[in-house]
Amino acid sequence: MTFLRQLAKSAGFGSVVGVGVMLIAFTLIDFSGWWTARTLSNVIHFTSILGLIAIGQALVIISKEIDLSVGSVYGLAGIAFITLEPSLGVPGSMAAALAIAALCGLAQGILVVWGGLPSMIVTLGGLFTFRGVIYVWTGGSVRNFSTDAREHWLTRLFGGEFLGFENALLWMLLMLAVLSVVLKLTRFGNHLLATGGSAESAESRGVRIDRVKIATFVICSLMAGFAGIITLADRPQTHVTIGDLLELEAISAAVIGGCLLSGGRGSLIGAVLGAFIVTSFRYELIALGAPSSWFITFVGIVLIVAVIFNQKLARWAGHNV
Amino acid sequence: MPDAKPLIQVKNLNLYFGNFHALKNVSVDFHAGELVGLVGDNGAGKTTLIRVLCGIHKPTDGEVYFDGKLVKEFHPKLAIDQGIETIQQSVGLCDNLSIARNFYLGREPVRKVLGIPLLDFAKMRGEATKVIRAFGLRDNVSADDEVERLSGGERQSVKIGRAVEFKNRVVIMDEPTNHLSVREREHVNELALQLRNQGLLVIYITHDIFQVHKLADRIVIMENGEKIEDASTDKMSAEALEEVIRQGGRVVEKMES
Ligand SMILES: Nc1ncnc2c1ncn2[C@@H]1O[C@H](COP(=O)(O)OP(=O)(O)OP(=O)(O)O)[C@@H](O)[C@H]1O
Ligand SMILES: [Mg+2]
Repeated sequence: MTFLRQLAKSAGFGSVVGVGVMLIAFTLIDFSGWWTARTLSNVIHFTSILGLIAIGQALVIISKEIDLSVGSVYGLAGIAFITLEPSLGVPGSMAAALAIAALCGLAQGILVVWGGLPSMIVTLGGLFTFRGVIYVWTGGSVRNFSTDAREHWLTRLFGGEFLGFENALLWMLLMLAVLSVVLKLTRFGNHLLATGGSAESAESRGVRIDRVKIATFVICSLMAGFAGIITLADRPQTHVTIGDLLELEAISAAVIGGCLLSGGRGSLIGAVLGAFIVTSFRYELIALGAPSSWFITFVGIVLIVAVIFNQKLARWAGHNV
Repeated sequence: MPDAKPLIQVKNLNLYFGNFHALKNVSVDFHAGELVGLVGDNGAGKTTLIRVLCGIHKPTDGEVYFDGKLVKEFHPKLAIDQGIETIQQSVGLCDNLSIARNFYLGREPVRKVLGIPLLDFAKMRGEATKVIRAFGLRDNVSADDEVERLSGGERQSVKIGRAVEFKNRVVIMDEPTNHLSVREREHVNELALQLRNQGLLVIYITHDIFQVHKLADRIVIMENGEKIEDASTDKMSAEALEEVIRQGGRVVEKMES
């Protein structure tokens, strides 16, 4: 019991339980539909994309802010990647797309920190602004990659497969490992956790909470932009609505994964498991032949159940939440 | 005897919170090797004054000199880098972090692993454990425990232990003995004296004028954002000072007119 309680103290534990329950349920309900190569490969692919975005979102939530713009940043970076490719080449357009994403995060972070504005409002503005930029820039239609660009080694590095695993999955796991180390084992991570836990206390100890928050917004936007690049490197055709509503899935994934909106607590592994849960529901509903519009309803239900469960779990483990 | 040249010099300091005039033309000197008691009613502006000194608040006008140099930028990080350690009244610990992480917050020691600077947990844990044991925290409290489970006194002990551990040139204590039992209180007072004897400047805020009179070289009294008294403890008795606080500065005005 003490051991379980100790385990439950870590923020991602609820999502581990959630994944277990979900897998058992899907196996019982729809064994033949769920355990198919097609469903699983879709689930793994999209978990990787959503996972990347959810990791960045989790960091922002841990800092006690929120980023509603990630869906638009994801779309903008992805579209910048293929739209700029003819003039800049694959490496150039990839770098430009990441730079655009970083700028989105930087601008929003600065407005939140130095403008003293709530991140909910600033990033809601970002959501519309960046989406608007996509429409204006592309005139509503997006071209596809040339065959040369598709075959470019960099495109293959982010979009292809390696030993039977999608590169998207490998990149997501790599970023998960790196950022988990950053969060738990570095000075920046300690400052980030402290900023989310009590910004006033952190600042009184000399933590530059302004820089910490801005850096976190930049990382979050970079992760969203990276996810956009990976998506298009893998399937280089798209539409201006790419990434619509993705911010809500990313926030749901982070919250299902144990991030508390009150800040200071959260787990990146949890966020990825949350992304896995959200994505699994999407493809299991498809496998069941349910209308795709049901998906949003299910995400809503899972989110609410997860929040209640995570909160009970945290209280049981002894946290004051 | 304290140095003639003040370590911290505050000149005509004014601070407004919106329309509220929290510090009114305050001028005061603090010397190295001095223990100064800062007293006054609730809301007098004691915490606000020391929050300027430790970089949390930027004054609306007036000057602060540290070691003879005009302070131009106010941020807690800069104050800490200058050697000013502060035990804050209501902030200073992050509930979601362990004692060890809180202890080193803002100055975490790192160790290179494959060239990457990672937190040196062994050192953080070791030092923090030493200090919390010295402060008599129960044995079942470990440096890995989150601060959220600590009692008020245990939190205060962590804050004081941390300030003393990193003491440098100035230690500011804002009601340090709050939440502490009699024995811990004596320990803190002893530490304050020790720091002064080591040549540090100690600024000690309290409501207990009798207790601080025994420790301090000098007492500064504030009232409604103003400094109304600044007297060495061998010139004025605790009773006389208490009367000044009770009268809210009117005694002083009467004597002057
Ligand atoms: N951030 C702030 N914004 C607005 N008003 C403030 C702020 N901080 C302090 N004040 C006000 O300034 C006045 C002085 O407060 P301060 O905390 O300095 O008092 P104090 O002398 O430390 O009192 P106590 O003994 O109760 O701690 C109070 O009236 C308080 O309400
Ligand atoms: Mg106070």
